[in-house]
Amino acid sequence: MTTTTGRPPARSTRVGLALGRGLLTGGVAGGALAALIVGVVVGKVPLFVTGLGLPFVYGLLLFLAGRPRRAREAAVVPRTALAAVEGLHVAESAMSERPVRFDLTVTPDEGPAFRVEFTQDINVVDLPDYRPGGVLVVRYPPDRPWLMRIVKRPTPEWEERAAGARPDAAPGAARVSAPAEVRGVGFVGFLGLLLGVAAVVLLFRVDLFERGAADPPSASASGSGAGVGAGAGAAPAPAPAPAPATPTVSSTWSTRVVSAGSGVIVLGAGQSFRSDGELRRAIDSLTAERDPRSAIALVAQEDLLSVAFSPTGGKTPEFDPLELPYERIPALIEEARSSLGVHAPQSWQLVADRLAGSLSIRISVTGPEGTGLLEADVEGRVLRRTPAS
Amino acid sequence: MNWHGIPALWCGALGLLALVGYGRSLAGMTRAQRTVRVTGRIERVREPRNGGSEKDGIAVVVRFQDPSSGEEFTVTNDGDCGDRITTAWVGREVGIHYPPGRPHLFRFTDDLQAGRRGLGPPTFAVFLVYCGLVVTAAIDRGWPWALVGFGGPAAVATARALPGDRRRARSRLDVLAAAVPVPGRVIAVLRTVETDADGDVRSSRTPVVAFTTHEGSAVTAYYPSGLPDSAVTYGQDLTVHYPPGDPADFTPDLAAERRSDRGGVGCAVAALGVTASATVAGVVLLCLSAAD
Repeated sequence: MTTTTGRPPARSTRVGLALGRGLLTGGVAGGALAALIVGVVVGKVPLFVTGLGLPFVYGLLLFLAGRPRRAREAAVVPRTALAAVEGLHVAESAMSERPVRFDLTVTPDEGPAFRVEFTQDINVVDLPDYRPGGVLVVRYPPDRPWLMRIVKRPTPEWEERAAGARPDAAPGAARVSAPAEVRGVGFVGFLGLLLGVAAVVLLFRVDLFERGAADPPSASASGSGAGVGAGAGAAPAPAPAPAPATPTVSSTWSTRVVSAGSGVIVLGAGQSFRSDGELRRAIDSLTAERDPRSAIALVAQEDLLSVAFSPTGGKTPEFDPLELPYERIPALIEEARSSLGVHAPQSWQLVADRLAGSLSIRISVTGPEGTGLLEADVEGRVLRRTPAS
Repeated sequence: MNWHGIPALWCGALGLLALVGYGRSLAGMTRAQRTVRVTGRIERVREPRNGGSEKDGIAVVVRFQDPSSGEEFTVTNDGDCGDRITTAWVGREVGIHYPPGRPHLFRFTDDLQAGRRGLGPPTFAVFLVYCGLVVTAAIDRGWPWALVGFGGPAAVATARALPGDRRRARSRLDVLAAAVPVPGRVIAVLRTVETDADGDVRSSRTPVVAFTTHEGSAVTAYYPSGLPDSAVTYGQDLTVHYPPGDPADFTPDLAAERRSDRGGVGCAVAALGVTASATVAGVVLLCLSAAD
């Protein structure tokens, strides 16, 4: 017969907790691992740091969650009792500490006798002290008697009691054992690991796959002389030589054409350069393979971007396209669309150049009322508004 | 966020932890400050068996009193119970600490005063913040900053500690040499054969010495760990020197003690040389790079 003492949680609760914790632990492990790898692949430092910190945060939370249980267990004063050795098995080993499997009948001062089996390391020199029929002093937490330990160095009081005791037979004594391990925790943990990995990969699928699929092989980009494809953050490569440009289509951008003198990107259906970060991403893509990346003009419309690069030895005033205040541009376009007296804007166009000396940004908006113009400086500050007339 | 965000996060989080730790210490809320610290007294010493385990220490029976309840407890050093007792005699005082109200969780300690303010963790957090700053400087401004940042404080700490350590060691050796020796005997040689983390078999031995002081205390002690003991055998007679009033600081081999002391000084001087050289090299490299 197997019994447990104390009031352990109901088996269904225990199983649920164990499986839930296994799933969560696996999920955190998989998610953290995937975040580390995906963070490196897509070059997102926050994601990498998240992958690094997540296990620590989870470990801390587990530690904090386990504090009440540990405090409860630590408050239990262990019980000392005499035990008769019913049987023992010494494992073969060349080590000085040998694992010994004990089968004891424990007779506590309070409560009925019970039998318990456990393994404890015993020094080879002390092995003759342990023999079937002998009496030992043991200590165990009353609520978890399966955590039984033999007291190798009992106090004088218990030493005397053990020396004077005679092993009593306790037929029918209940056998105590630890609660059975919850099955399936390993499987659930593995499932959680897969789910964690899948969650991270799905969240960053655009960065991972669309970008990767759209990025041209560096050999073809440099060999053809035209950067062909779509995607920001393409790996830097030698500056392309002049050659016929070949348009291609990607799931992100409808067309991306780069030649020695210019670069054009046409967005796919439903996309707009008014979206946050879209213009910067396109510029990054067009200029990533250029060194220097100077341009003489940049023109952007709703779904079209065109950059005229500075020819070698040219005298036209040039600028670095990355100098533009990209974080302000969507707001400037919206301001132009709403503040220039054009009630139903049909189109807009942004032109950046240095023809007037300093880098200027001009956003024109056209509607039934005519064309209005908003001018801004390199910091994104509005310099002038010319309403539609 | 560029890479500077990582050291900023590291230093910020650890700095916050350090502040919380120091705050808790000031408020008297750390676990170390709440721990009950009492002095127990050894009532019985059991002679170890020849060939027995060395990891459990000398078997003793200790009695101590819980100051809050006044109750007396008699305990032994069985299993995991804190610092190993390697020198024992009846009547010797030993440090004991435990969480308030839980004397059954007692642990023996060699130094009852150590860490009683709970400043260890926050100070370690400050050290980690410093390491983060040095690493950031080394990556950002050049690796010579690592030499200066790590070598400088280490050299200063070694240089500050060396004279005091040297003075104490000399004084101790002088006291030991001047003390009237007593006869001792190796009553057991403890042996451990175990596998390490790599699965390799590792064995060690520790002779156990017994001697009686002039005051009549029967001392049982592990052979001092800093001295060579491969030639010490079971049943061997020894001549034991100990400082009056502290038999725990005994030595069964005065000549080896002097050699050990010289070796220790040599190591400390070498460490000082290495750290100081690293610091000087770092400063020179920084000056050269600044001149360029």
